[in-house]
Parts: sequence; structure tokens; C-alpha cells
Amino acid sequence: MISRKLAEELISVALSTGADFAEVYEENTRSNALRILDGKVDRVTDSLLSGVGIRAFLGTKTVYASTSDTSREALLRCAASVATAIADGSADVKVHLTEKIYPNAHPIRICPSSAEVRFKTELLREATDAAKGYHESISQVSGTLLDVDHITLVANSEGLYTENRSVRTRMAISAVASANGENQSGSCSPGRCMGLEMFETVKPAEIGIHAAKQAITNLGATYCPAGQMTVAIENGFGGVIFHEACGHSLEATSVGIGMSQMAGKLGQQIANPKVTAIDDGTIPNAWGSINSDDEGNPSQRNVLIRNGVLESYMIDRLGSRRLGLPMTGNSRRQGYEFEPTSRMTNTFIDNGPDKNEDIIASIEYGLYAKEMGGGSVNPLTGAFNFAVREGYIVRNGKICEAVRGASLIGTGSQILQDIDMVGQNLATGQGMCGSSSGSVPTDVGQPLIRVSKITVGGR
Amino acid sequence: MNFENIKQLFKQAAEKAGLEEYEVYYSSEESVSTETLKHEISNFSFSTSGGISFRCVYNGKMGSASSELINETVIEELVERAMANACVIESDDEAIIFEGSESYAELPPMSSELPSTQHLKSVSLALEEKLYSLSPMIVDGTQTAAASFVAERMLFNSYGLELSNKIGNSYMMANAVVNNGEESVESFELSRGVETDAADELAQKAVDSAVSKLGAGKVKTGKYNIVFDARQMRSILSTFSPVFSAKNALLGLSLFAGKEGTKVAADCVTITDDAMRDGVALKTTFDGEGVATYRKDVIKDGVLTTLLYDLSTAKKCGKTTTANGHRGGGAISIAPFTMCIEAGSLTLDQLFETAENGIYVTEMKGFHAGADAVTGDFSIECAGFLIENGKKTVPVKTFTVAGNFFTLLQDICALSDEVSLPAASGFTTFGSPAVLVKDMSVAGE
Repeated sequence: MISRKLAEELISVALSTGADFAEVYEENTRSNALRILDGKVDRVTDSLLSGVGIRAFLGTKTVYASTSDTSREALLRCAASVATAIADGSADVKVHLTEKIYPNAHPIRICPSSAEVRFKTELLREATDAAKGYHESISQVSGTLLDVDHITLVANSEGLYTENRSVRTRMAISAVASANGENQSGSCSPGRCMGLEMFETVKPAEIGIHAAKQAITNLGATYCPAGQMTVAIENGFGGVIFHEACGHSLEATSVGIGMSQMAGKLGQQIANPKVTAIDDGTIPNAWGSINSDDEGNPSQRNVLIRNGVLESYMIDRLGSRRLGLPMTGNSRRQGYEFEPTSRMTNTFIDNGPDKNEDIIASIEYGLYAKEMGGGSVNPLTGAFNFAVREGYIVRNGKICEAVRGASLIGTGSQILQDIDMVGQNLATGQGMCGSSSGSVPTDVGQPLIRVSKITVGGR
Repeated sequence: MNFENIKQLFKQAAEKAGLEEYEVYYSSEESVSTETLKHEISNFSFSTSGGISFRCVYNGKMGSASSELINETVIEELVERAMANACVIESDDEAIIFEGSESYAELPPMSSELPSTQHLKSVSLALEEKLYSLSPMIVDGTQTAAASFVAERMLFNSYGLELSNKIGNSYMMANAVVNNGEESVESFELSRGVETDAADELAQKAVDSAVSKLGAGKVKTGKYNIVFDARQMRSILSTFSPVFSAKNALLGLSLFAGKEGTKVAADCVTITDDAMRDGVALKTTFDGEGVATYRKDVIKDGVLTTLLYDLSTAKKCGKTTTANGHRGGGAISIAPFTMCIEAGSLTLDQLFETAENGIYVTEMKGFHAGADAVTGDFSIECAGFLIENGKKTVPVKTFTVAGNFFTLLQDICALSDEVSLPAASGFTTFGSPAVLVKDMSVAGE
């Protein structure tokens, strides 16, 4: 990694024309992905990403330059270009960097990058074999075991110099069930900010069976009817509803420039009083957890909405300048080619007052969304969509036949008011979240919730 | 380190390791972009990046490894890692390093210089100023950007094949946000090039589009004739393009398996793939395995003429590669280059007349979640305009259109007379005219 002395030099160069803040970020990321398709290992990808990004601020104007050439000369050129682009004055700023070492809240016992490939293959095969063997209609199974070893350095003109290492492991199984010229799919892809020890608690065979079972359920399902309904959304990845419908609109990325439906609403009742929502990057070994963010601030637990009242946004350094509010440890980026911005970590609706069985029993006719797929949102209008991966019709308070091909759409501000029952089985699910600073791992989560009325896209 | 040095080091390392068949792929890119907000340049970014990937045949299997860090030690490590990775492969796909095509097309010459930073700054500011001047409803949050990149990709292998392409693109972006006192809506538009002259037209398009969305109403749940605008039809084609992969067909992941030579779409549907198509931002003369690219009909008058193949899938199926191998790190996967639904004969207004009553869909969101290429099913959030008595009328939003791609191809009734290509894209690009599909399921109120 870049030495303290070189980082001091680069920051001084970046500040030399009058910038009021400068930062150096370095990344070395080793990624491995092993794939089993059709019962055989057919692909091993193995890559090393390496580069540096240098950023300068002048008020809320920013300049960012990145390079994969990490030679001293190239980095000095990079810093000089940042200085030229940000301002045209002259300043002789000496910076002294002091190293900061944050405690590691996410210990790793079996680092995947040094584990034997045979061991990884066995873990993955256990999952794909379990999926294939689940039912005779399972026609194809694809499994990937991904591990990422991400070493970063952040140094800035406030004297910070800190290194961070995060290791993540994820297994993704997708199963296809076929009958009568028709395919249906199911998937399951748990991940942790952890080494291969994650499979001691998350059993590979169960991952495979989960995917296969979902494909078989969908094969026997009819198309979901279309229209407005009451919907119960199950825990785990169901939390994508909050992530899309509200989470993105609480990021300073959109709030800071007034491009969010949530801008200017701190202290206001924006959700049903049963809703308390939290973003917490400190949960030990959770998929979206970080020790420190990509601006070198420690991760923290932020209550975003308490009993329906908006309490906090998620704020990075630029957002902090724009909003005049403190940073919240939410600055994230995919890698050195991306300028960081405010992002979610592990975001979830907390347990509420309602019993789960009461939620289902309360629905005369509606949809039980047992498992959600991903979605997207326009933070300006709050219009969101997400897919139902496994759903069932609820009739007279009972979960009935499976339905497929449904999506849920609405606007964030409306659905927050319409979440009128919140259950008690909080669990999380894992996803990759895309935004202007690239793709980052995030957990979403919630207990079972009821939405009184939402548009269900079906046929 | 220049590519000549890199080649020599790989040759030495491969020889030392006793490798007979190997390939080195190198890509580098320089890019620059500016963004504006509230009448100022809010962000200026530039980047240089480069990476190398190495593939080799070892014990009859293909292994690969890639790195952005390039030095002598890393090169030796890449060779070792690729060999170790080959040892893990169990698939019986034949490992092929390509000897070379008979001939390769040439790309038109292009400048390897990026536009000046001063020019990019002034064109973004001029574009923003124009946006604000076009409507009193334009509000802060409105943003513009101008960006440009140049890149080079090179391939050499143990058969002495040496190929290179220089490519690049520039574009402007206008994101107009309008507020009428009741609601804010935005419209995001891109155009190719960073010429100041083109800024006015782009600004007008973005503002007109944003203003036209104000006051959007709801639609009732039911069956509607749908005209997908060209941009949405491109997204649909892109989402379901994996169904054209012969590898997916072999694995039972595409319902086009076994359908080559059969009718899969309406007579009016012809779909081509051409890496050198006129008007596309990025052209390429060779695919990720070094095979010369060429134009092909994928669907001709409704008949599936060919799936897309790379070298090993073609070998397995007794076919010839269609030069559709794409690089993703060291791995090769099958994808189109520029896949287009070819134009029909109606103007957009005539499409509305043919539809009579229905919805003109101009926005679709969430394909990554709401569509599944394995099943063909989709259910997608949409916005657009009603079509009433053959004319486009009022804006509508917050509804879904659901269907199945395989059925949709058969149900296309008519196409507009102009193929639209995106202003900026990667190596895989999709083009389409607007299309009319009758009786689709819509969920709204």
C-alpha cells in the first residue's frame, strides 16, 4: 500500500492550488469465483483489482481522478491533475498523517483466498447436488462460490491514515425446473462479511434445496392476478421494500441536492408509527457490514426512522457539506474507479408489535410475498418496483395456492404510511446494491409486514 | 509497461512453464467527465485504467487469471494461477486457442486524444444554461454531464495471432427536473458527441420530455394494446438476449433450445447482430477469442436462423462460431455485439393509429428483478401516455405491463420505420424501432 510519506506528498500536491480538502484512496482486491454448471466445475475466475483514487474538494465542488498505474510518478501526475482541475490558486500545505487502527468487528477464521480450491469445490458441490437431487423436474442447477478480499487505504488532509481489510463470501445457487416446454426458476444466495466458516452455520445443502424448492413451487404456480391488493411481505429479503421504497431516498446522494422525496422532512412523521428503520454497518460479520467507511470514518448504527418519524439521513462527506449535517459512516464505493457517496450498509425495519399469525389472519383476499427479488427506485418521485420471487394467494386469512410472475409497484411516501402491521421475526437477506459509486454489498431486512394496499403487477 | 514488453514477458513465462497454447488480452482506457449542478461544475473526474488477462490450455483444460497490477512478478504469477485454475476445471468443453480468421475488417481511424477539459466544462455549462432557459418550471437538481473515453484492446496468442482495436466515444447527458408546484418529475436524455451545437437539441428534448410527464394519471387494470417506444423495446431485447446463447440452450436455460430453423416470431420480425453496424458507438473487428466479427440474421422474417456461438459451444454442436465470444476477465461468455430488431414500415403516428386505443410505454424500470430470461416472464413498472382513437394523449404512470418474451415476439403486430441505437453503451448494444403488441396485461388501479 502507499506509504504514509507518499500519501502526505500526494495530498500536499492535490491541495497546492487551493482545495480545502484532499483524500487518497487505494484498493487491492482479490476476487475468486468458482462455478459449477451442469454438475461440473466449468469456470474459475481469478482477478486482482488494483488502483488509486485521489479526490479534492473546494466547498461542494469535487474533482476525482483514478489510475491503475500505482507508480510514484503516475500518482504524482494524478494528484497534480486534481489540483489543476479544482482551483487555480497557490498554496503550500504540509500535511502530517497519523495512522489510525480501528478495532476489527468482523473476524475471519478461514480466509477463502488461502483455502484449498478442493475444499471450496466440495462446499459448492454439496449445494448443487442437493438442488439437483431435490426433485426429478429440476433440469439445471448453476452454483457460484464467490470470495472477495478487499484491502483499502484512506488518507486525507485532516491527518487520517487508515487501512482496512474486509473479506466477503457468498454462495449463489439457481435452479431451473422444467415441464411441458416451460421453465421456472428459483434461487438462493446468502453471503457474509466472513470467511468459509460461514458454511458451518449456513449449510450448503440447505441453500441448494431452498433454490430447488422455489423452482418447483413456481412450476406448479399459476400467473398472479393483477390489481390492487393487501400484501403481506415476509422477512429476510422482503426488506428490499424498505431499501427501495425509502432507503435510497434517505441517502445524502439524493437528499443533498434536493432530488429526494424525503428532502427537508427530518423530524416529520413520514411512516406509520409501527415503523422503526435502522441502518447498521456494525453488525458482526453481516454481509453489508464495514469496519470503517470508504472515507475512513468508523461505521455506526443509525436509526433512520423511529416510530414513523424521520430521524436521520445517511451522509457522506460531500453530503455533509451540502446538508450541514454530520457524517454517519455511510460513505461507500465499489472500488478505486468510483468516487464514494452515501450508501446503505445493513438496513432493516425493526421488529414491531404485531403477531405474525395475526397478520396473515387479517387478510381476507391478498398476496403473501414469501420471497422477494430485487427492485429499483426513482428517489425524486419515490416510484419503486420490486419482483416477487415466490408468492401465494391469501384467502380468508389462510395462505393458499402459489402464484408466479408478480411485481409490486408504488411510491415510497405512500407505502411507508400503508405498512400498517409489523411482525416480530426480523431476519435479513443479502443483495448487491447499485448506485453512482458502483455496486456494494448490502443487507436488507424486516419482520413479516402487512401493506394495506399496493398495486400488484400480474396478468 | 508497454504491450511489447508485456508480450515478451508472457512468452518467457509461458515457455518456462512448458505451455504450448496460450493467449494474452490487454485493455486500457482513459476517460474524462464533467458534471454540473446549480450553474457550476460540481464534479470533474478522470481515470486511466488497464488490465491484462491470460488464458492457457493446460492438461486439456482452459485456465485463466487477470490483474490490473502489471509487472514482471505479476506476469509470472498470472501464468501460474491460470495453470492452477485449469486443474480445477471438470467441464468437457473443448479448450481452444484460436489460430486466426482469414481476414479482419478495419475500424475507421479515430483520434486517441480526449477532448480538452475546458471544452467539456463549457459544453456541460452551456447545456445546463439552455435547460434552465427553456422552461420556468426547471428547478435545481437539474444536472448535465459531458464525458469522453478512448480505449485500446489487444490480443496476442501462441499461434502468432495479433489483433488490436482502438475505440472511443463521447456523449452529453441532460437530466431536466421540472416542478409545476404540485410535483417534480425528471427526464434523462443522452446524445452522442460533445459538440456545443448539439446541446440545444438535447436540452429541448429533455425539457419537452419532462414537461410532458407532468400531471400523469393512473390506468385501470386490464388488457391493452401496447406500443413500446424504441428505448423500452431495446431494454426488453437486452434483458432477454441470453435466450439467444447456444450455451444457454445446451444447458436447458433457453427456451430457444432446438428451435433453430423454426418459426419463433411474427413474420414482421427480423433480428440481426452486427459488431460493425453503422451508427453504433463501439465497433469491434474481433470477438473475445480473436474471431473476426460479421453481420448475421438471428431471426429472419420470424424464423430463428441461428443461435449465437463461441468456439467451444460451436465445436460441441457441430457448428461454426458466430464470433460472439465476450471477455469478462479471463472467462468467455456468449453475447451479442450490436443486436437490433430491424425497422418496419410505419411511422410512429401510424403505429398509434394501428393500435387505436392502448398505452404508449415510454419508461420501464426494474428489468434486473422483474424479468427472467430462463422463463421469459416479465412484470415491469411502466409510465407513458394513453393512446386514444389512434392518437397519443395524456401521460399515465405507476402501472405494470406483464407478459412473456417468447409470446411477445410472436405477438408483435407492427414496427416503426426507424431503428434507435443508444448514445452510449458497452460492447453489447441493442437497437430497436417502436413496436406494437396487442392485448397485454396491465395492472393499475
